[in-house]
Amino acid sequence: MNHQPFEDWLLDDKPIEPKQKLALDAHLRICNYCSALAETGRALQSVKKVSPSAGFAARFQTRLAMQRVAERRRRLWGAVLFTFGGLVMLMWMAAPYLVSFFDSPATRITSLVGWGVFLVTTLRAMIQAGSVMLDVIPGFLPPFAWMVLVSAFAGISLLWSISIWRFVRFPRGV
Amino acid sequence: MKDEIAWVTQAQQGNDEAFTHLVEEYQTHVYNLCYRMLGEPEAAEDAAQETFLRAYQNLHRYDQGRSFATWLLSIGAHYCIDRLRRRKLSMFSIDEENDDGTTFEIADASSPDPEAESVKREDRDRLHILLKGLDETDRAAIIMRYWYDYSEIEIAESLQLTVSAVKSRLHRARRALAGMWQEEKPLTRTERRVYESPAF
Repeated sequence: MNHQPFEDWLLDDKPIEPKQKLALDAHLRICNYCSALAETGRALQSVKKVSPSAGFAARFQTRLAMQRVAERRRRLWGAVLFTFGGLVMLMWMAAPYLVSFFDSPATRITSLVGWGVFLVTTLRAMIQAGSVMLDVIPGFLPPFAWMVLVSAFAGISLLWSISIWRFVRFPRGV
Repeated sequence: MKDEIAWVTQAQQGNDEAFTHLVEEYQTHVYNLCYRMLGEPEAAEDAAQETFLRAYQNLHRYDQGRSFATWLLSIGAHYCIDRLRRRKLSMFSIDEENDDGTTFEIADASSPDPEAESVKREDRDRLHILLKGLDETDRAAIIMRYWYDYSEIEIAESLQLTVSAVKSRLHRARRALAGMWQEEKPLTRTERRVYESPAF
């Protein structure tokens, strides 16, 4: 059955002309679907609001107070854990220096030089590995593919940054 | 309106009493939305309280150029939508949960035509049950349109949708409601429908 234009008239909730009303009434007598549409429309037009039980604002105040206590407790525990974690970390990082404090000056100089040599050799190895990679990798892919890859990476990074910014700046519904 | 702006300004400056005035003013507004969205009074109470809590925590973000009621409903609608999606994810059946908890309106004894009022009430109750069959966002759009008389622009603003998306969601929801209404037609009703011929 063709429901047009009756379906549109019913969905738009706008007043219709007397002529249209007659045509609609005739259609509703034979069309169950449009009849249901008209009945739901009438039911929707007569809806009522329901109120919360008495004392809603007082219950909200209680909840707000509880939330504040929980928030304070969370912050306190956060601060305690952060301080404790920081102290453990500090102790762990300072332990070798504290131990070496009791070493002889010659041992201290030797370990210092050892660290320096380790740092320099590691850096040189990394630079060499990097230059070898830069020499070899571009040959595998044509310049066009590099352009596409770099652009895609930049695009995804931008999208990611914008998404995070939007989420932080405008949380859902707020 | 002037009072509302003053309360909002004071609440933004940390005045809890002013925020309590806002809660008292909008409790029915928010509770009704949550009740229509979630379908049961306990969940609606919890969601309404959570909506006000979120509003309180985000008051500094509220732009006074916007209607405070729309802003509140937007928070409430998004909260309810998220809650319904979580329910779906946890495979929790809304029907099983709500069948016992649903509260219906009480007949208005002062009504000039109690029978017509009773039919209307019955229809509203059916509608309340059928709302649960709609998609969460469609349900929010329908509630804002018919319970709050919001324009399509206001609904779009609240639900962060385009106006054309709101229009198509409203139409889709109305069609779905009509379909469900047809399927669940009560057998006990004997009175003639407004558009029906006496011969039927």
